[in-house]
Formats: sequence, C-alpha cells, structure tokens
Amino acid sequence: MIETRALGKMYGRGLYALRDLTLKIEKGEFVFLTGPSGAGKSTLLRLLLLQERPTDGEVIVGGRNLAALSPTEVQAYRRTVGFVFQDFKLIARKTVFENVSFALRVLGQPVEQQRRRTYQVLKWVGLQHRLNAFPAELSGGEQQRVAVARALVNEPHLVLADEPTGNLDPDLSLEIMNLFRGINASGTTVLVATHDRELIKWVGRRVVQLEHGRLSGDGETAP
Amino acid sequence: MSGLGYAFEEARGSLRRGGRSALISVGTIAIAFLTLGGFLLVSVNLQRAIDRWLQSAEVSVYLVDDADEGGREAIEEFLAAQPIVAAVEYISKDRAIERFRADFPELTDVTTSLSENPFPASLEVRLRTGAGAGEDADRLAKDLADREGVADVRYDRRWLARLQTLVTGVRVAGSIAAGVLMLGAAFTVGAVVRLSIHARRDELDIMQLVGAPFSFIRGPSVAEGLLLGGAGATLALTVLAGMYVMFGQGLGAGLAGIIGSDQLHFLGARDVLVVLAGGLAVGAAAGGLASRAIR
Repeated sequence: MIETRALGKMYGRGLYALRDLTLKIEKGEFVFLTGPSGAGKSTLLRLLLLQERPTDGEVIVGGRNLAALSPTEVQAYRRTVGFVFQDFKLIARKTVFENVSFALRVLGQPVEQQRRRTYQVLKWVGLQHRLNAFPAELSGGEQQRVAVARALVNEPHLVLADEPTGNLDPDLSLEIMNLFRGINASGTTVLVATHDRELIKWVGRRVVQLEHGRLSGDGETAP
Repeated sequence: MSGLGYAFEEARGSLRRGGRSALISVGTIAIAFLTLGGFLLVSVNLQRAIDRWLQSAEVSVYLVDDADEGGREAIEEFLAAQPIVAAVEYISKDRAIERFRADFPELTDVTTSLSENPFPASLEVRLRTGAGAGEDADRLAKDLADREGVADVRYDRRWLARLQTLVTGVRVAGSIAAGVLMLGAAFTVGAVVRLSIHARRDELDIMQLVGAPFSFIRGPSVAEGLLLGGAGATLALTVLAGMYVMFGQGLGAGLAGIIGSDQLHFLGARDVLVVLAGGLAVGAAAGGLASRAIR
C-alpha cells in the first residue's frame, strides 16, 4: 500500500526532517508512527498527503509514485485518503453535519447520497444527536469524532492521523483509538502518528519508530 | 449540488461577510463604468447628430464676380445631370447681402458703409438624402471646384469629417480613461477576493485535503469577482440612467438646439450589454487571477 524508498525531506540549509527512510506498509495494516518531537512523524504524513514534496527518494502509494502526479491527479489521489489532525481542522461556521458532508459536497455528489452517507458515519462515531451543533459547542473528544467521521465519509483506502489524541484526555483517547481500530477492521490501512506510548501499548499493533528523521525501529507491540 | 451552484452560494456568503470592502469594490467598478458609459453617451449622441447632418448635407458653390449668365447656366446644367443632386438654388450677390443683413442686423451699418457688395453670388446645392455620406458627394465638390466660373466650394462634409474625428477621439479618450479606471477597479476586486480567500483559508485547506476539484476550490473566487463586476456595472448604468432622466431632458433641450436633434438619446441595447459584459469580464478576470493564490 505504502512504500518509501530512501525518502528525504530537507528544510532550509541542510536541516533534514526525514533522511533515507525506506519503509513498507501493506494494505489493511494498522501502523503506529512514533518518536520524539521533531523525529519526522508529521513530515512523513505531510509527504503522504502531498502537502509537501520530498527532497530525495520516492513515495509510492497504491503503486503510484506520488512525485509524478499532476495537480489534478493529486486531488484525485487525496480523495482516496482520509486524514485526522490533532487540531481537528473543522470549519467553525459549519455545523457537525455540514463539516462532514462538506467532503462529499465538494466532490459534487447528489444531495440525497451526501445526507445518507453523512448520517451513517456520524451515527457510527456516536454523534447522530449533535448533527446541528457547531464545533465550538462540542467537547474535544466530540470534535475529534467529527474529524474521524469526515475522514471516513469518502470511504478512503488509507487513513492518516497526526497526533489525533494529542488534545484529549486518556479516556477520550481510547475512544478515538477504538474508532481507528474499527476503521482498520473494515480493511482500511491506518497510519497513526503519536508519541503516546501507553496508547500504543493499549492498542498493540506494528510500531515504526523515527529519531532525527531516520528509522530507528520497526516491530510489533502486543496489547 | 453542482460546482457552479456551490461557487455562487459561497461567493454570496463571502460578499455578505465582506460588507464594506465589497461595497467599495462595487463603487470603484461603478466609477470606471460610469466613465465609460458617460463617454459612450456623449459619443452616441454626437454620432447621431453627425449621421443626421450627413443625411441632409449641402454644397455651396461660390461664383467668381465676373461670371456671366452662360457660365452660371453651364454649372446649373452640370448639377442638374448629377443623380445625387436634389435641388439647386441661385443666390445672387444682392440676395446674399440681404440675407446677411437679416441674419446679422447689428452689422447692417458695416455693409452700408462699403463701396461695393463683397458677397459673392452662389449656388446652394441640396443633396439627396443619404448622398452626403458617400464618396460621390466628395467627387462632385471636387469637380465643381475645377470648373470655370467657380471661386470656391464649401461642403459640410469636410467639417463633419473633422467632427467625426473628434467623436472618434472622444471614444478613444473615454476608452483609455475607462481602461485605466477599470485596471484600478480590477485591483480592488482582486484585493477583496484575496481577503475572502484569506478568511476562508481553513476551509480551502480542508477542501484541498479532501481532494476537491480545482473548479470547486477556485470557483467561488471567480464567482465573487463576477458578482462584484456585474453589480458595479449595473450600478453605473443605473446612475447613468438616473442622471439622464434627471438632467437629460433639460440639458437635452438646450443641446438639442445646437446639435439639431429633437432630444438626447440614452445608450442603445448593444452599448448597455457592452458595459454589463465588461463589468462581468473585469470582475471574473480579477477574481480568477486572485484565485491563483490558492495553492
């Protein structure tokens, strides 16, 4: 599903955020990306979302070299990827329902289809009773569940999450992780960047460790 | 919902939120198109007057003082044979001075103090309707000037041609002035659209991340420019029409006497469409250029 070959990303004068990273993640895997702050976790996710381009090496997703994609193909690729960020990235002036259906709306899907699918995913994350609430009226956990619902609404092949529990207390973090496990159980590849070791132990999946932009460990963790 | 519907819905929302800056933008576009419309209005009415004058053009043939009866008759026969000539009237030297005294009674003393009549006899040639605008009239004036017994030929079309050049100049000057103002208006629209883009930055980031097509991402900016441009041009036409209704009638009565028309005319449908289409095009182009900032 995901393959990086000698991947490198340099910022400024010789400052590498990622260096010589070779990694393979199979379809349907659940992988934690961990390491201290500045290890390169977020950079790798940004490269996978094509928010940035690599300085060296290649990123292959679903057999396609991301560097070769045209701007239109980048947008088409992103439709196959769901994303969840630490700061939720919800639109303040839109309701819960609108925030989630927005991802379908901008793809020009029929209104009835948008409504049905949006309600379905919001019910799955347990927010069917907050459809008309605005993000500011929700707790942190609820906001992150909206973000998860938005990531899922397009039925992506890959879900990327960057510190999705960074702003949540432990109980809410477990709740969100359960959602990711559910997503993965349906066959979707999930890549979660976190430095929360307790959470990793609790979920117990493959862990890829980065340090100073380089791969420093790769193995399974038992729950 | 289609990309077009989404673009206009977002653009309307953005303009509502924009408030004052949107109004300023509409105002600057309106000023630019008011200038263009004003110049168009002036040139349209001048052009109508020129066209009318050309339709009823006259040629004045001044005869030499020692021209005999035979020479004059020869010229009249020549004129009678011309298909573009509608009528010929002979004005003798005596009639010419009488006409002058009637037109300028305050100068009568001057003419009586002269030892001899300085006014030449002439033939006033009225051309057939429409003939004044053609090359045949030019040729006739030239042929007459070359004939024996003719001192001079005055033909309206010469100064009408100069007036036509003036109208063209008015149009060009109006287009240049409007063009400069439109450039300023386009910058204002661009600035307003960029402000909207900035206000929607989070939303646009999310749109990009969910893989929205570029028509969805950039469409609202183009639509916003289009609405601003259309509103500005409509406002300009409304103000121009209001000014025409308020002042056109009174001013028209005075000017109409000078330019020989019964009334001033407002812009035709084609000119109105040009102003509207121009507003929409300038707005959309400015919005489209501003949307290139979204990457």
